[in-house]
Amino acid sequence: MRGFGSTMGLYEPGHGFLYRTPLPVKAAGSLACAGVVLAWRSPSVTGVALLLTLAVLMVGAHRSPARILRMLLPAAPVLVILALYQVWLQGWAAAFGVVGGIIACLLAARALTLTTPVQDILDGVVRLAGPFRVLGAQPERFALALSVMLRSIPYLAGLFVDVRDAAKARGLDRDPRVAVTPLVIGAVAYAHRTGEALAARGLGDHDDGSGDDDIDGVDIDGGDGDIDGGGAGSGDGSRVRT
Amino acid sequence: MIEFAGAKVRVEGGRTILDATATLRERRVSVIGANGSGKSTLLRLINGLLVPSAGSVSVFGRDTRTAGRAVRRAVGFVFTDPLSQLVMPTGREDVELSLRTRKLPPAERRRQAGDVLRRFGVDHLADRSIYDLSGGERQILALAVVLAVEPRILVADEPTTLLDLRNDARVRALIAGLEQQVVFTTHNLDFALEADRTLVVDAGAVVFDGAPADAVAHYRALVGGPVHGP
Repeated sequence: MRGFGSTMGLYEPGHGFLYRTPLPVKAAGSLACAGVVLAWRSPSVTGVALLLTLAVLMVGAHRSPARILRMLLPAAPVLVILALYQVWLQGWAAAFGVVGGIIACLLAARALTLTTPVQDILDGVVRLAGPFRVLGAQPERFALALSVMLRSIPYLAGLFVDVRDAAKARGLDRDPRVAVTPLVIGAVAYAHRTGEALAARGLGDHDDGSGDDDIDGVDIDGGDGDIDGGGAGSGDGSRVRT
Repeated sequence: MIEFAGAKVRVEGGRTILDATATLRERRVSVIGANGSGKSTLLRLINGLLVPSAGSVSVFGRDTRTAGRAVRRAVGFVFTDPLSQLVMPTGREDVELSLRTRKLPPAERRRQAGDVLRRFGVDHLADRSIYDLSGGERQILALAVVLAVEPRILVADEPTTLLDLRNDARVRALIAGLEQQVVFTTHNLDFALEADRTLVVDAGAVVFDGAPADAVAHYRALVGGPVHGP
């Protein structure tokens, strides 16, 4: 399985004022960008939003235009199809307004994820979901769900490419069933494995705050002899009746 | 201490795929057996990933069925494929994810994550994508992620199966140095011999339980291989 973690774009260490900007400010900026682009669907507003997000990434995160363009590569197929559809339906200006707006929003969101460690984002989600505690919600579970989502996107993208390559190697790349079926099965298997991994680590277990979750009173180094330090096994060394 | 008391695992149709009775007190316990013999099922019972259909499994006296959360806190589980284990994009973030269960302030959590990564000698890999790491690096990271919360017992399901010789030795040395009780399955009989006690599992039953050298000889006889030498 190849990984697409860097392509899909999570945190990358670096320098610039964006790295020092508090998460709420970056989140507000990203939301504002989306709000403005949606509210004023005009080419001029889109152009300004695009220029601003590009400038913020270049100056605030020290990223070159080429690297910024590479960030958009995973979304490029969808953007191209959307642009062609909009040009055919409403003309060049509308296509620029829609697709350019989406690109500005993607870059604004990318500016946040690129310059904020995932754990900081999760802490932010926990704080944001804090008020829901009164309704019985567990903010840590919001964060866990987000972290699983962040992990799943690059994994599934990698799975898609692997399945496509495997089909191509067998000369079956023109049959959509061959591409889709293993992808669906792989995704379900991945979900199962991830759930098992989280369960094994006790992540997502309900925390009732009772403090009844610790196993105490056992000296692991010997003490009362609960764990033997070595030597021959204490099994009887024979066939075991089961 | 881990106790299997007539622990049975049944699948649909009522077929029993595992039936075990044993008390594990030794610091290192290896479990060997053919593919599909029930080794992994046995291990999954220990931290409550599976609960027995009949009988019981307890860890330090706590039943995995009724005290699953407490048992999972006490028992860390390492999977064969570290990519199944690692949930976050980088090692540092994954260790921090483990530490979130301790509800520490972010700065303290970050400091402890750094300490854990240094302790396992993988701090230089902390911020690299898990996909960019070698199999051995990933497996050591997976061990660090599980051991970050200091479980009392480590359960490892074929932790060296996907590794080359060098990384196999690294992971075995790391496991040998742990203070926790470790229960592991393996197809590497040299590794199995490093334990204090070995269980041989066949067709869902523990068919031999004793000293590793005797267990390996029994296993070789069982599968029709040479009896002498590892």
